[in-house]
Amino acid sequence: MLPAHPRSEGRSELPYFNDEDEVYSFLGRLFEDLAEDDELGPKFRKANTIVQYRYRNPDSQITVKLIEDEDGRVDLGDTEMEPEVVMSMEADTAHKFWLGKVNVTVALARGQIKAKGPVAKILKLVPLVKPVFPRYRTMLEQAGRQDLLEAA
Amino acid sequence: MEADVGELGARQMAGFKDFYQYASTTRVIAGRDLLGSAGFEFQKEGARRVFVVTDRVIRGTGLVERVEAGIADGGLELAGVFDDVPQDSSTEVVERCAAEAKAAGADSFLAVGGGSVMDTAKVADVVFTHGGSAAEQEGFFLLPRADDGQGRPLDLAPLACVPTTAGTGSEVSMGAVIKDHEAQVKLEIADFPLFPRLAILDPESTRTLPPGVAAATGMDAVTHAIESYVSLDWTPYQDARALQGLRLIRDYLERAVEDGPEDEEARGNMLIAASLAISISLGSTHAMSHPCGAHYGVPHGVANAINLPHVIRFNAEGGPDIADRYRDLNEVLGVESGGSDAQVGDALATYVGDLVAGLGLPTRLSEVGVPEDGIPTLADAAMGDGLTLLNPREPSEEHYAELFRRAL
Repeated sequence: MLPAHPRSEGRSELPYFNDEDEVYSFLGRLFEDLAEDDELGPKFRKANTIVQYRYRNPDSQITVKLIEDEDGRVDLGDTEMEPEVVMSMEADTAHKFWLGKVNVTVALARGQIKAKGPVAKILKLVPLVKPVFPRYRTMLEQAGRQDLLEAA
Repeated sequence: MEADVGELGARQMAGFKDFYQYASTTRVIAGRDLLGSAGFEFQKEGARRVFVVTDRVIRGTGLVERVEAGIADGGLELAGVFDDVPQDSSTEVVERCAAEAKAAGADSFLAVGGGSVMDTAKVADVVFTHGGSAAEQEGFFLLPRADDGQGRPLDLAPLACVPTTAGTGSEVSMGAVIKDHEAQVKLEIADFPLFPRLAILDPESTRTLPPGVAAATGMDAVTHAIESYVSLDWTPYQDARALQGLRLIRDYLERAVEDGPEDEEARGNMLIAASLAISISLGSTHAMSHPCGAHYGVPHGVANAINLPHVIRFNAEGGPDIADRYRDLNEVLGVESGGSDAQVGDALATYVGDLVAGLGLPTRLSEVGVPEDGIPTLADAAMGDGLTLLNPREPSEEHYAELFRRAL
């Protein structure tokens, strides 16, 4: 019998994040910081969409409103926002992505990231995320989570 | 403009990469007098009641009747014919095609036409098999799979293709592009089940192809060969196909256009060249050409022909590993392959530009209805095209705006 949420990469190790609260503490906080960032926030909101990140292992969900000339909004867990684009992946894959260790095109080709909806709106953001990688790394270091840095 | 290797997976244009993926599951038959055995061959793929997808121009040539006769000769039933595919097919056409196939009790599709017809048949097959709207199919590797979405992709109804142009390569690819008129975008769909089960390459099917269309679609094949060879997603398997495709193009494209349908050797070899050159791993030329079609109706092959030289020059200045790949192509084409990175790119771009002009195609976007004030919209759309991520040199929106200005 298959597990409820099979590991897309066939690994047997434990997930990096212990539970959804940890996902929200790090990935969620990163999105919240970006939404409030005076420089990057407006650039991301040019996407003019609502994107939902659905993570597995642990199951968790982050919904981000990226609408031009409107305030950013990030919902952790349940949301009333209707996503236009849905990105599904392991929480581990998301963690590695924000450390700059995921090749998006390979991840899409291998099914490690599945993107549903008008994906063009999100793909044009990919070149913008590079400055965020060191910020995520710093966040983990400041939280004393060297284990998360070393595991990826 | 400085090269940017990028952090989301280092650019690697040679050596042994961390990951390769290659598939080519379409059975290809090529040669003469094959249309009459369409049914005999298609029954081997499980077809029984065949729904033919074509356009009115092709149907008017009598070619579809010959394929229909071949279907009957093989003991298969003709469920119906959908001949309402326009030059740039749309989500609405796809859904109508799928509904008519369902109503006709079809169990398989046979496309007779160019890229628009074949892509319509592919996406109609998805809607026919799995339901939903055409727009909902957008994306890469998203078609339904067994085992909670992690397992084997579910089969589509059998699809066979008889290409009537030599360029798109859709008859052997797992990609399809359909226009969403309302959103003014081209939807890109790619997944393994979209590989047609059968491709029939017979120069007789290109007999009525006008020289201008033969030239434009031929330049689409040129662009596939060149872009796939320098794509970030290159594989040695596709390299082999691209190089051999380019050799055939070198030898036969101009003959196929100038000599017309009487040169079966040229037309037949261009069909094979197009089926070799195609890949879904392309680059910025296609990322630029898709919005040219979506916003200004520029035929895909023409847009590629115009944009390709500018992208080559841009990419060649992105580093010696990219330029070295262009050197390989120059050797195949008999173009100067020595000199600096910029020189090798310029030599290839000049060759392509001369080829385009020699074939009688437009060489500027302004000649085909693209206005200067459309550039910001085109550059924004090119940035959002998935193929931008596969270009060997990472372009910014400003780079795209400059490339469009150069092509204007």
